[in-house]
Amino acid sequence: MKECLVIGQTNVGKTVFVVNFARFLGLKKLEMSFRYPDGMLVKKSYQMEGARQELVGSTPHTTRALQSIIVQLPAGKGKKELTITDTSGLTDSIHKDEIVRRAMAQTLASVRQADLIIHLLDAARVGETNGSEGIGTIDYQVAEFAQMRGNYCILANKMDIPAARLGYVKIRQEFPGHLILPVSALKQTGLKEVKAFVLRTV
Amino acid sequence: MKSPHVPPVYTHADEIILAVEQGEIGPVEAIQLFQQLEGHKNLTTGNGSQKESRLHEALNELDSLIGLGKVKSLIFEIQAFVSIQKRRQEEGLAVEPMVLHMIFKGNPGTGKTTVARILGKIFCELGVLSRGHLMEVERADLVGEYIGHTAQKTREQVKKALGGILFIDEAYSLARGGEKDFGKEAIDCLVKAMEDHKDNLILILAGYQKEMQAFLDTNPGLRSRFPIHIDFPDYTLNELERIAWQMLKKRQYKLDDGAKAELSSILAKNVQLKSEHNGNARFVRNIIEKAIRRQAVRLLRQETISRDDLMIITKADLEEVKDE
Repeated sequence: MKECLVIGQTNVGKTVFVVNFARFLGLKKLEMSFRYPDGMLVKKSYQMEGARQELVGSTPHTTRALQSIIVQLPAGKGKKELTITDTSGLTDSIHKDEIVRRAMAQTLASVRQADLIIHLLDAARVGETNGSEGIGTIDYQVAEFAQMRGNYCILANKMDIPAARLGYVKIRQEFPGHLILPVSALKQTGLKEVKAFVLRTV
Repeated sequence: MKSPHVPPVYTHADEIILAVEQGEIGPVEAIQLFQQLEGHKNLTTGNGSQKESRLHEALNELDSLIGLGKVKSLIFEIQAFVSIQKRRQEEGLAVEPMVLHMIFKGNPGTGKTTVARILGKIFCELGVLSRGHLMEVERADLVGEYIGHTAQKTREQVKKALGGILFIDEAYSLARGGEKDFGKEAIDCLVKAMEDHKDNLILILAGYQKEMQAFLDTNPGLRSRFPIHIDFPDYTLNELERIAWQMLKKRQYKLDDGAKAELSSILAKNVQLKSEHNGNARFVRNIIEKAIRRQAVRLLRQETISRDDLMIITKADLEEVKDE
C-alpha cells in the first residue's frame, strides 16, 4: 500500500486537512493508528465530529505521533487503498523540548520513505505578513528535497480567510515549478483537485 | 555540539535522525543532509546500473556454485548469445529466433533445480522473461484422471508459469505407462504451449540421464524442440568436500580436525559406491544437517557452552550420522 505524508510547519492545519479530506473521500468513521516516536502503536476510532475536537488544537505541536488512516480510492473498476499520514509539525529551529524533537525526527524519517508528499502552507499568514512569516527555511528545503523525489504538491491552506488570496500569489512566486493547489481544509474547498492529484500518483 | 567548525559527517539517514532527536541539528539541516545523501546515491546507482548489478549478482551466484564447469560455460554462452541478439535487434539486424527450451540430464542432487532458478533470474534481467520465476512441477501436477482432464491441468500449470520457467522434474515419467496413458496428452499440450508462448515461457525438462535418453528416443519430435541439452555430471570427491565447506560456512559452523577426516572418509566411501542414487550434493546436505542436530543435543548435555562450542562440529557428531 502506498503512503501519503502530510507535512508542514506547526499550526498550518495538517490535522484538519487529514480529517476533512478523509470525510471528503467518503469515510464515515476514522480508524486512526498512532505511531509514537518511542515505537508505541495505538489504535483509536473516532466519529467524524469527535475527531476534530480531539485531534486538532490551536497550540503548536498538538500532533506528536504519526497518525495514519487508510482510505479507499476508486481506481479503474476496482479500489485502491492509500494510507494518509498526519505528522508532527516542523520548525526552522531546534526545539528545546526533547519530546517534540523526537516527534520531528520521526516526521523527517518518514519523509524519506513516503510515496506521496503533501506539503501544507498557511496562505493566510503568508498574505498578512507578505511572506515574512508563514514560509520558513524548512519549507524551501522540503520543497527542494521533495521535488527531487517527485510525487509532491503544495497546498496553500486557509483560503477561506481573505488575506490568503495575497498569500497564494506570494506562494506561487516563491515556489515556481511546483504544483500548488489552493484549499481550505476547514471549509472543505479545493479538495477535489487534491483528490485528483492523489489519484494520478497512486 | 562537539565542535562548531567541523560538522560531523553523516553517512546514514539514521544518524541524521538521531542528531535531530538529540538537538544537534534542526529539521532544516536534516533535510539538507538527506538531499546530499540521496544525491550521492543517485550518482552511484542509476536505474540502468541497478538492473546491470542484479544481472551481475545472478551470474555471480551461478559462478559460486561448485563444480559444474561445463554447465557454467554453456550458460555463459547462452547469456552472451541473448545479449548480442538484443543488441542486433536494436541495430535493426536480422535476429535468430531465441528458442531457449532446455533439457537437463543428471542424477539427483547434481544442481539441476538450483541452476534453473538462477537461469530464471538471469533471463529476467536480460529481458527475455518478464517475471523470471521458477514453476516446479512433476507428473502428478500435469496428468489428470479422466479424458480431457490432463489438458486442463497442464494448461493451468503453463498459465502459472507464464513469464518464467516451467521446470518439469522427472519428465520421462510422462511417457511411462504405455499407449493409453494420459502422459502423452500432457506432452502434446506442452508442445502446443511452447509454440503459443514462445516469447514468454521457457520449458525445462529434467530427469535422470538414462531415463531422459529413452524418453527422447521414443518422442523424436521433442528432441528438435529443445535445442539446449545440459548434462549435469556427478560431483567428484573433491567437489563434494568443497560443497560441504561452503554449506558449513554459510551456516557458520566449523569442523574440528577429527571431523574433517571423518567427513572425507564418509564422502569417499559414498563416491566409491558409484550408485546412481547416492544423492550427491543432497547427500552432503543431509550429513551436515544431521550433524548440526547431533551437535545441538550434545551441547545441551554440556554444562557451559562457549561461543566456539556453538560453532564447532566434532568427529562424534559425524560418526553417529554414519552409523545410521
